[in-house]
Amino acid sequence: MSKYLTIFKVSLAQEFAYKTNFIMWRVRNVLQVFLIFFLWDAVFSEPGTTLFGYDRTSILTYVFGLLIVRGLVLSVKSYEVAGDIGRGDLSNYLTKPLSYFKYWLTRDISSKTLNVVFAIGETIFLYLILKPPFYLQTNPVLLVSFLVTLIIAMLIYFILIFILGSISFWAPELAWGVGWLFITIIIQFMSGAMFPLDVFPQAIQDILRLTPFPYLIFFPIQVYLGQISISVIIKGILVSGIWLVVLWFIFNSVWKRGLRVYQSHGK
Amino acid sequence: MVNKLDKIKGKIKVGKPKISLGRLPYYFKIWVFMSKNSFLMVLTRKKLFFMFLLGKILKFIFFGLFLYFIVTGSGELAGYSVEQIIFFFLTFNIVDVFGQFFYREVYRFRPILISGEFDLVLTKPMSSLFRILMGGSDVIDLVTIPLLLAAVIFVGSSFNPDPLQIILYILLIINAMIIATAFHIAVASLAIITLEIDHSIMIYRDILDLGKLPVDIYKEPLRSILTFVLPVGIMITLPGRVLMGLASPAGIIASFVVAAIVIFVAFKLWNIALKYYTSASS
Repeated sequence: MSKYLTIFKVSLAQEFAYKTNFIMWRVRNVLQVFLIFFLWDAVFSEPGTTLFGYDRTSILTYVFGLLIVRGLVLSVKSYEVAGDIGRGDLSNYLTKPLSYFKYWLTRDISSKTLNVVFAIGETIFLYLILKPPFYLQTNPVLLVSFLVTLIIAMLIYFILIFILGSISFWAPELAWGVGWLFITIIIQFMSGAMFPLDVFPQAIQDILRLTPFPYLIFFPIQVYLGQISISVIIKGILVSGIWLVVLWFIFNSVWKRGLRVYQSHGK
Repeated sequence: MVNKLDKIKGKIKVGKPKISLGRLPYYFKIWVFMSKNSFLMVLTRKKLFFMFLLGKILKFIFFGLFLYFIVTGSGELAGYSVEQIIFFFLTFNIVDVFGQFFYREVYRFRPILISGEFDLVLTKPMSSLFRILMGGSDVIDLVTIPLLLAAVIFVGSSFNPDPLQIILYILLIINAMIIATAFHIAVASLAIITLEIDHSIMIYRDILDLGKLPVDIYKEPLRSILTFVLPVGIMITLPGRVLMGLASPAGIIASFVVAAIVIFVAFKLWNIALKYYTSASS
């Protein structure tokens, strides 16, 4: 346990070693919120407007919730796994008395800790300058459910990143492109990280709900806002839980096969 | 040794831009040559090329659909119809994609800088700035540009613009590209001073992203900042409004003045930045 605590501390220190990089990354997050915030602010400018099941308060809470939930779920360092495999650096870890999986999980937790601390600060800062209406959830059942959905979301994303990184075992030159396509484009849009998925027609929403993506961002915020009934929350937690198990099995299978073909190129 | 180096440095006219109208054919020839090399390099990795192309198209479709559903759902956005909002989004894409097509090399400037390879650029008989900005066009955009232009013409024609509005729209897009050039020069200059480029170029992209929607939707003081300080409004909203017949002549003239000022400041910044180049690690 103590070695992972040390990894956590070292990883945290590494983030501070590249302060400009980190600050710029956070500035980008804030800028991205501006576009979405003002868009929804304009849509809900008329008092009493209700659209896609949201009122002004709930939609602007969704936008602010994005900062925190994205910081918790999408802030990871494990996207470097693909590079480790491609460069042959994985060998360094395989010979050490630690679990490669737990190593990256620890580094991700460190990244999330730092990002969430900053995200909370930014949320307060933006709240003070934009003064939006904000919905503070007080129902303990919903708050616990929100926490459960967040933990599942973080684990799903972590395993997804590892599966994508595993492509590097077979096609190291493609791993980066595949990662970019999934992480920057598909997951961003299909998870609700840009906008709530309710804006899409029901048929598209139904298809999206069959994938693991909405359970990363959209579903946890829906739970926080109390937009869905308890039965739908339980169903969602079950479906996302099943996805977590399925992805875990896929990851295990892919990783084992990958290690069999791994040749430590470049080492 | 130090004195010798100082003497040599004094003789080399480091990075002085020598782009004049008379030398345009010379630079065009170099650009074609470098672009050809860049395209050939990309084509050796076809799968990766298709992946990035697919990503760009998906990003465009996802956000376009989102805007479409949102504005049709609410009836209008800040007084604009769904066609008008889509047109602003298309105009944003034109400026963004042309910027990436011409200035993709800026994204690759950091390795050149920190490896000391920039020394070689400075000693070549061409403007170092030209090489850093336009040394490698993005072949992916050769596919997306025609599709975008077709979409702009299709949606734009629904506003029934007269020839003057069309000419002004084209002139304002060129004007927007001048401002985009200034932004890229500023990013490259900051890279020399701070050695940081990845995030600063992405911050430029994020700021430009705010132009996906007309600046009218933003509240003060952000609206004024996006109009005068970070002239996203001039780059994207104004050309769109001109084609829709919603812009004032004073605004159009002011936009050309702003572009002239920012490009002048950017060139000055580049010359200042070059003095900070230490040629470390070369």
